[in-house]
Amino acid sequence: MSKRKVKETHMPVGECISQVQMILRERFCHQRLPEKPVGMESQHKHLLELLRRTAVHGESNSVLIVGPRGSGKTMLLNCVLRELLEVKDVNKNVLPVHLNGLLQTDDRIALKEITRQLNLENVVGDKVFGSFAENLAFLLEALKKGDRSSSRPVLFILDEFDLFAHHKNQTLLYNLLDVSQSAQAPVAVIGLTCRLDVLELLEKRVKSRFSHRQIHLLSSLSFIQYLDNVRSQLSLPQDFPDTKFYDEWNDSIKTLCEDQLVVDVLQSHYNSSKDFRSLHLLLMLALSRVSASKPAIKPTDLLEASRVCMVDSKANILHGLSILELCLIIAMKHLNDIYEGEPFNFQMVHNEFKKFLQRKSHSIHNFDKPVVIKAFEHLQQLELIKSMDSSTAKIQKEYQLMKLLLDHSQIMEALQKYPQCPTDVKQWAMSAFG
Amino acid sequence: MVRYFTRLRVRRIYKWGGRPYIFDRKLKSYVTTVTPGQYILIEGNDDEYPFVAKLLKLFGDESHKQKKALVQWFLRLSEVPQNKKLLLGRSPHPQEIFYYLGRACDDEINAESILGTVHVRQDNSPASVVPELRNSVCFPCFLIQVTPSTPRCATPCIPSRTVPARQPGNILEEARARLHVSSVPESLPCREQEFQDIYNFVESKVMDGTGGCMYISGVPGTGKTATIHEVIRCLQHASDMDEIPTFRFIEINGMKMTDPHQAYVQILQKLTDQKVTADHAAALLEKRFSNPAPKKETTVLLVDELDLLWTRKQNVMYNLFDWPTRRHARLVVLTIANTMDLPERIMINRVASRLGLTRMSFQPYSFKQLQQIITSRLNKVKAFEEDALQLVSRKVAALSGDARRCLDICRRATEICEHSASHPSSAGLVKMSHVMEALDEMFSSSYITAIRCASLQEQLFLRAVIAEFRRLGLEEATFQQVFVQHRTLSRVEGLQPISLSEGLAVCQRLGACRLLLLEASRLDMLQRVRLNVSQDDVLYALKPVRD
Repeated sequence: MSKRKVKETHMPVGECISQVQMILRERFCHQRLPEKPVGMESQHKHLLELLRRTAVHGESNSVLIVGPRGSGKTMLLNCVLRELLEVKDVNKNVLPVHLNGLLQTDDRIALKEITRQLNLENVVGDKVFGSFAENLAFLLEALKKGDRSSSRPVLFILDEFDLFAHHKNQTLLYNLLDVSQSAQAPVAVIGLTCRLDVLELLEKRVKSRFSHRQIHLLSSLSFIQYLDNVRSQLSLPQDFPDTKFYDEWNDSIKTLCEDQLVVDVLQSHYNSSKDFRSLHLLLMLALSRVSASKPAIKPTDLLEASRVCMVDSKANILHGLSILELCLIIAMKHLNDIYEGEPFNFQMVHNEFKKFLQRKSHSIHNFDKPVVIKAFEHLQQLELIKSMDSSTAKIQKEYQLMKLLLDHSQIMEALQKYPQCPTDVKQWAMSAFG
Repeated sequence: MVRYFTRLRVRRIYKWGGRPYIFDRKLKSYVTTVTPGQYILIEGNDDEYPFVAKLLKLFGDESHKQKKALVQWFLRLSEVPQNKKLLLGRSPHPQEIFYYLGRACDDEINAESILGTVHVRQDNSPASVVPELRNSVCFPCFLIQVTPSTPRCATPCIPSRTVPARQPGNILEEARARLHVSSVPESLPCREQEFQDIYNFVESKVMDGTGGCMYISGVPGTGKTATIHEVIRCLQHASDMDEIPTFRFIEINGMKMTDPHQAYVQILQKLTDQKVTADHAAALLEKRFSNPAPKKETTVLLVDELDLLWTRKQNVMYNLFDWPTRRHARLVVLTIANTMDLPERIMINRVASRLGLTRMSFQPYSFKQLQQIITSRLNKVKAFEEDALQLVSRKVAALSGDARRCLDICRRATEICEHSASHPSSAGLVKMSHVMEALDEMFSSSYITAIRCASLQEQLFLRAVIAEFRRLGLEEATFQQVFVQHRTLSRVEGLQPISLSEGLAVCQRLGACRLLLLEASRLDMLQRVRLNVSQDDVLYALKPVRD
């Protein structure tokens, strides 16, 4: 690499690029919190006010944050917590407890986790003493002894809230919400979920104790705002050390976002899903093509990245099949066409295949039955065909009914791109009688 | 992760006595004696490092009210001034203490600032550090304190705040504090009749010295537990005034237990402070309620969420209802549940008959009652407009009659009012518009908004689902069939058709929000799809919004 120059405003291209990669990857992969969450100002204000009242006034509350996957629920909560804990008084006075429905699959585990995070007196180091019943009694006693003006407020953050509603009797939820509605230690119960019908999961007693506050994160971004967001996500922050590179990069991003090819790619992504998680994946793939020798993002990069994202998942599998397996799939396709999607078994497929062989009278594809059965089983292992009956009844494997998990279009597309596909196979695929 | 400081809290009782106490097993407290000649720890500014001294004499002052002690002080290493430390000639051990022969502080201290005893050891060879088991202070060297390895006397508590909670500043904040569900008033409005009935029942049982059972039912949020607490409060007051004999009140809750048999453990613990296993507790309680005991006071037991105490053999419920029938038990059991016919539905005959026919049903609140509840809570704090209150009460009464819901909506309305005002103190009264916004938020289901905010492909997929349902005449279809329709629709709209995997991803996203109900995803494109929203709602949501 070139030697480091003395002037600090100019860095060699390699250094700049690695800085750019680090900054942008933090945004896309490491879930770095933005300065201010975009497009959710009223929700941010609502949540911040709620938690501030719990922290400062000791008022107990409960709230659910509902939004589709990748819409920014955890990001919003973390931004609000960050802003809340910046206030010095609040920082030392609030006890956050983080629970996740996927990690704490049972109330027993959840209780131990709460006790450990609150560091109550039956915890020594990392170990929590006592049985489930003792832990519950201890925690409830601790919360009961507290009161609004002198105890520290506890913030219970429940990720994947809907999974907690599947625990036995919903004990944990009942108790947490009961504390939030009694004159005990102030608590705030914050649930995050993606199910819109989460309230129907709650039992009537638990539902009555929940305050029915819901914060919905339904993004109503227009395409123009989406484009703006792409531009700001790819732009460098103001404090980038090399100003010349900063200007060059931001200009290139600006022209990139005005390029028609890029706009089309982003439009098709926007049509598919508006959330930022899939956008970050796309931008990450485009960013990984940036290097010292190619220090800018070109429209073709985005096009390639889009192709990688939107590729059909079975296409590559189909390209890796042998000719015999491909022939079997084409036979199944014809069977589907004739019998309108009814399940088939190996014998039927084999017969169809033999009909093709007889027409062409080519010995090149003529294999023995055991070989064909082996090819069929390989397709089953690849989950391109699936057995219909889940019963373990002993039917001979040639007669077990199967269904094809491939669509007509997927097969035809794969055939187009299959390397060195024999022409007679291709013609057979076009029509059953060709 | 921040470590929160908790400490073993020890309750100190000071008694002036001549003989040492023995360890009282029943009270489970450690009692230590302090006699002159012992080394003691004295409460100081720093709780971690109390002062160390030698007790010379214990005496009372002139009026014999204040007990004092004469001590010989020791200094910890941190208290020794720097120049004196150098005189030592060697590096001191961190737990070393020194005789304080100066006159700068009083030798007389208040006896109640004594924390406990400490063992001081004179060790002339500083190199040999012998760790002792109990609090071991070595003079002139080593002070070793041992923290307990397993918490035996762990007391449950949440740490306290450093700054006290702020009191409500303006009228809206005051109203919010009063409307919080937890600020239960002294006397509940609109439940006078129920209060009277329960009061009469319990009072008669307490005065007669007999036992009995009562079953109280009602939908959630109708004030059952609160009314019973009020009854008990009044009875306590009456027994303090010696109008009725004394009694004990115990409360258990079916939801706050991990297992129905824990009920025995909790009842025994609250009665006698013993911690035993469930079977042992059942046996002890059986003995307690069967055997006569002189001067036994009535026990009033409240069992909340009774239906969770159900077991297959129903023996927990059987025992709870059987014990009051014993002659010497003097047990009054009040049970609360949600359904009126719970005894008939889930209890076997002998249990239901022991529960008896003393039943009471709490009806959901009517709109007048809800209005009265809110006004009595606000109690002359003028924060709401009249018709705003009426609207809330009518709406909630029409739906569930749940008081909690009503109070939460009113609280939310005050928040909206405060936010919509430019300055918090100039917010004014809560108007109809604020209340309607709160009702909208807390009563609406957001399916329509979710469909409107979905992406284009997701909306197209929903249309395809409806089209396929119409074609088949059924309420479910496989993904493959829907996808065919989806392709057709995208061609009509002029969009590029998407691949099958992308279609599956769109379908999964809709399924995660529960706009669609899907089968397991391992079935790939053969999974069946159903709508979780009615077709009319979907079509309404997808209609283009006319500006």
